[in-house]
Amino acid sequence: MSLLGRNGAGKTTMLSIIAGLLVPDAGTVQLDGLDALKDPESAARLLGIAPQETGIYPILTVRQNLEFFGELSGLKASRKSRASEVAEQLGLEQLLDRKASQLSGGEARRLHTACALVHRPRLLMLDEPTVGADVATRLQLIDAVRQLADDGAAVVYTTHYLPEVESLAADIVIIDDGQILARGTQDELIAAHQLRGVRFSVEGVLPHGLAEELNAVIVGDSTYRAVGDLDMRELLRLFGSNADQLTAVESLRPDLETVFLAVTGHRLEADASQDEATSAEEASA
Amino acid sequence: MTALLALTKVQLRIIRNDPWFLVIMFGMPLVVMPLFTKTMGLSLQASGFEGATGAEQVVPGQVVLFGFFVGGSVGFTVYREHGWRTWDRLRASAAPSVALLGGFGLPWIVIHVIWQSALFAAGALALGLNFNGGSPIALLLIITGYSMCVIALILLATATFRTVNQLSAFQNVGAMVFGGLGGALVPLEQLPGWARAVAPITPAYWAMRGHQDVFLRGGGVADVLPEFGVLAGSALVISALTVSRFRVDETKEFFA
Repeated sequence: MSLLGRNGAGKTTMLSIIAGLLVPDAGTVQLDGLDALKDPESAARLLGIAPQETGIYPILTVRQNLEFFGELSGLKASRKSRASEVAEQLGLEQLLDRKASQLSGGEARRLHTACALVHRPRLLMLDEPTVGADVATRLQLIDAVRQLADDGAAVVYTTHYLPEVESLAADIVIIDDGQILARGTQDELIAAHQLRGVRFSVEGVLPHGLAEELNAVIVGDSTYRAVGDLDMRELLRLFGSNADQLTAVESLRPDLETVFLAVTGHRLEADASQDEATSAEEASA
Repeated sequence: MTALLALTKVQLRIIRNDPWFLVIMFGMPLVVMPLFTKTMGLSLQASGFEGATGAEQVVPGQVVLFGFFVGGSVGFTVYREHGWRTWDRLRASAAPSVALLGGFGLPWIVIHVIWQSALFAAGALALGLNFNGGSPIALLLIITGYSMCVIALILLATATFRTVNQLSAFQNVGAMVFGGLGGALVPLEQLPGWARAVAPITPAYWAMRGHQDVFLRGGGVADVLPEFGVLAGSALVISALTVSRFRVDETKEFFA
């Protein structure tokens, strides 16, 4: 399940409450029929969490990190074999005897995630696992998440990066201001929250007041997106005598981004590091 | 118990992977000890311990003084978990705070005992420190009681202070004040009256009294039981206070 929301929407808070790191003001947390607030130790055995910030022991080797977190979560003799299995799953098998302090950023990120799944949790929660990760790491993490889900684990994956959500092809939950606003598959959400709109580029400055009138947001160099009951004809009418400023106009196809906009009223910010990684990937391709 | 064992093992593993702090803390007292041996010998003789060489004061004194610095490491390891962002992962294991505190404290008590014992052995080889009829078991009791008390005190400070700088200040000032008042720098008999009056509030005082019993009075196990009792009893009381104060959800600041 992809948990989609802006920064500050409540994604990390929700995961922290489920993991017992925060105490909720009200409500209950049910994990596989277990009340996690009343029996946190049993609940901890069922779940694995990789918090947003990388948390590993730099002074220990990859193997030692994996074995420790496995043992902490109740693994005994099997922790050694599980460490190897998880390392292989995340492309760390060649690095098992390397100190974590000597890993690259992407490798450290993979180890961070691997530590959360070493004890085969029934529920794995990954909080923005690909923030700051390179393209290869991102693909490996997404593959690992898919494999875990195929193996029967429930995976909650928070992100505000839409291409990842699309590539996971999982159920999506949209959260804003601590409230779940929509949930369903990508197709269901698009069908339920279709928005019309246009994307357009202009030469020079957008005529005064038009951005507000169109409720347009800038999405690139001199390129804007306006959603609502708007088509090309209406756009040209609103531009009036300034229509010759338009250099490109395109009808918007409903996608997750327009769904998010329709549901929350906000545009989803992209993570700059991920955009850069994608750009680098596209440039190298 | 699972968390306690796992944490204990990982702490020992971290120390094994980076032993340099302990190596330095073993070397430094050995450098300092010979500088004061002769002076302390005269001081002990003036205090009525005829035939004392000074090693009976300077070896235990430096062990007790530096013991506070070595013990401080247990606190740093807790703050370091916050710096490494591993603290929340430990918390997510739902281990009770007693298990977390034990997982940090127990390995450091063991290390502290070994470190003290090694320094006494080195002091015997380098400065001719000998038991003069005293009991090695009695020495081990005092060493163990002091380790327990220092580690408990540092964990209480860790439960109290939010930043590692605050702990560092406590550790440095504590070592000098407790060590000085407790007779680690000069023999207890040479301390001014007011210092002798307040000295018993420090763990160093009870450790140094025990060491005097062993090395200067030829004391056995029975002779050091009062000192061991005070040290171990204090450790238990301090530990109970620590458990009641320790909040696992409090954010600690490690070095920026």
